[in-house]
Amino acid sequence: MPGSDSTAHKSKSRRPKYSQFSQQELPAFKLILTPGYVISTFIVVGLIFVPIGLISLFASETVVEIVDRYDNECIPKDFRDNRVEFIKNKQTNKSCTRTFTVPKQMKSPIFIYYQLENFYQNHRRYVKSRSDKQLQSKKNAAHIRECKPMGETDNKDPIIPCGLIAWSLFNDTYGFSVKGKDLKVNKRDIAWGSDKNYKFGADVFPKNFQVGDVGGKSLNSSIPLSEQEDLIVWMRTAALSTFRKLYGKIEDDLQANDVITVVIENNYNTYDFKGTKSLVLSTTSWIGGKNDFLGVTFITIGGICLFLAITFILLYVIKPRPLGDPSYLSWNRNSTPTPGR
Amino acid sequence: MLQEADIGVGISGVEGMQAVMSSDYAIAQFRFLERLLLVHGHWCYRRISMMICYFFYKNLTFGFTLFWYEAYASFSGRPAYNDWYMSCYNVFFTSLPVIALGVFDQDVSARLCLKYPLLYQEGVQNILFSWPRILGWMSNGVLSAIIIFFFTTNSIFNQAFRKDGHAVDYEVLGVAMYSSVVWAVNCQMALSINYFTWIQHFFIWGSIALWYIFLVVYGSLPPTFSTTAYKVLVEACAPSILYWLTTLLVVVSTLLPYFLYRAFQTRFRPMYHDLIQRQRLEGSETEISSQTEVSSELPAQVEIKMQHLKANLRQRNQ
Repeated sequence: MPGSDSTAHKSKSRRPKYSQFSQQELPAFKLILTPGYVISTFIVVGLIFVPIGLISLFASETVVEIVDRYDNECIPKDFRDNRVEFIKNKQTNKSCTRTFTVPKQMKSPIFIYYQLENFYQNHRRYVKSRSDKQLQSKKNAAHIRECKPMGETDNKDPIIPCGLIAWSLFNDTYGFSVKGKDLKVNKRDIAWGSDKNYKFGADVFPKNFQVGDVGGKSLNSSIPLSEQEDLIVWMRTAALSTFRKLYGKIEDDLQANDVITVVIENNYNTYDFKGTKSLVLSTTSWIGGKNDFLGVTFITIGGICLFLAITFILLYVIKPRPLGDPSYLSWNRNSTPTPGR
Repeated sequence: MLQEADIGVGISGVEGMQAVMSSDYAIAQFRFLERLLLVHGHWCYRRISMMICYFFYKNLTFGFTLFWYEAYASFSGRPAYNDWYMSCYNVFFTSLPVIALGVFDQDVSARLCLKYPLLYQEGVQNILFSWPRILGWMSNGVLSAIIIFFFTTNSIFNQAFRKDGHAVDYEVLGVAMYSSVVWAVNCQMALSINYFTWIQHFFIWGSIALWYIFLVVYGSLPPTFSTTAYKVLVEACAPSILYWLTTLLVVVSTLLPYFLYRAFQTRFRPMYHDLIQRQRLEGSETEISSQTEVSSELPAQVEIKMQHLKANLRQRNQ
């Protein structure tokens, strides 16, 4: 055989070329959970989390928030049994005045939100009912396929902006005054910049909007969509059924114990589906609005880790398990002695 | 005979290549059989069983967050994430670490595999792919999904999530939850394997980085393509400290149960390969300095475990 001849003379080896990769001998770090690692990991996590939790909780506590649910109180007493009738009737007086006191000093900017509950803006059918192409540019005005049944009027004329999301635009309004002086509400820059600049075209104007069955707010047809900030904010659909949307900002400070009077136009119909409406005034901190959950959870997890570290230290100290001590092994406690090899 | 057997190993050599052609594995010399079984057989068994369990885990973690979200979207079928995030989950963000696990992982080095041949019994007795193990990994996935969903939705609820007062919307919650899922699943991989070469590091941390790169790239496509992801990281999420803190909280909370379990298990109910690793770690100085074989006197725990495995084998043969 040719092979045996060549092995005699040339000692040609068929051994593959050695490389660390092909022989799986790459330099490696082997992670083994020794007691030292376990305890130090728990301690490090605990020592990082508890301070972060305290700082977050503190930041959340510095936020001053006023939440006022008004959808029940803003129905006059005669209509309390017949709310849907009240809200749909165009003749009834929808104005309502609410007052509340500022608990602590609120530094500007103070953000005004409207909060809706039990409103599923994340329902699939609702979310599909819009036409991004139509919102973006005038030449796509006829792109209404996904907006049906809210796509065109009876005369087959496209509605701009079409779809259920736009049609259900929130239309309560709020007017604030403190100590008899009106507070100016800044309704600019409440929408995301990317929405205003790209998603909503500057050449698209509302047309045929809210003719027929009125679902919400009407739009001024001489203002292009890129400047209709209420619409833009509303069309950025919410994640859950309880949500807040930015209504405007107050750029003055409010002092503690100031009494704020709000005149609300209670137009929006949430009574059909048992939704609720609330008005929220809130300051912000570096962490955002008021939510204690993050801070509390950080502290809890950090505390649990420190507790586990102490438990492990005690376990290792009180019940030491030297490598050669087999009597704790469960199968050794009640097993018959195995015959020798 | 080679074809009738479960695994047929052929030896190529002076008698021709017929055996090689009808076998599942071919080796060049008979002495390589020892390595084939004890080293590669053991590694392969561990890699494949771990890979399958991990695959269940990561898809359960991802899928169950979608289920919980549906309960809050009146079961209408609206997914919690943008469509392209979901399509790329198993392709880009979680596939490479699994490949690294399935191809490269080693629990014990080749030399020790040969030194303790009884380690091979782990495969014969199907210790690493038993039902309790599989169900354990699956429940880890479900538990992780619960923690991820509820911690994220309660931290980033309806309040402003940044200093400039913008309230939370669907895009932001989707990105926050998905980032937590990608981090948690990849860090779980880092906890499960115990053999880190540059490949594992590159794949695991690279997958996480790839998610953020994807978000930036996809978010910069025009809104007709990127729909809800348009500029979501660059404009909305990245400047929000709440988003990053939530990711940190959720990832550590998700990994805590498994870490606790592993800490208990390696110390108080160690498996055979855990014992060998510990023994190697604690005897490592003597092994490196002396090039000769370490004394064949095994520590008592290893002896006990060996007897246990032998007893199992005897029982099965009866």
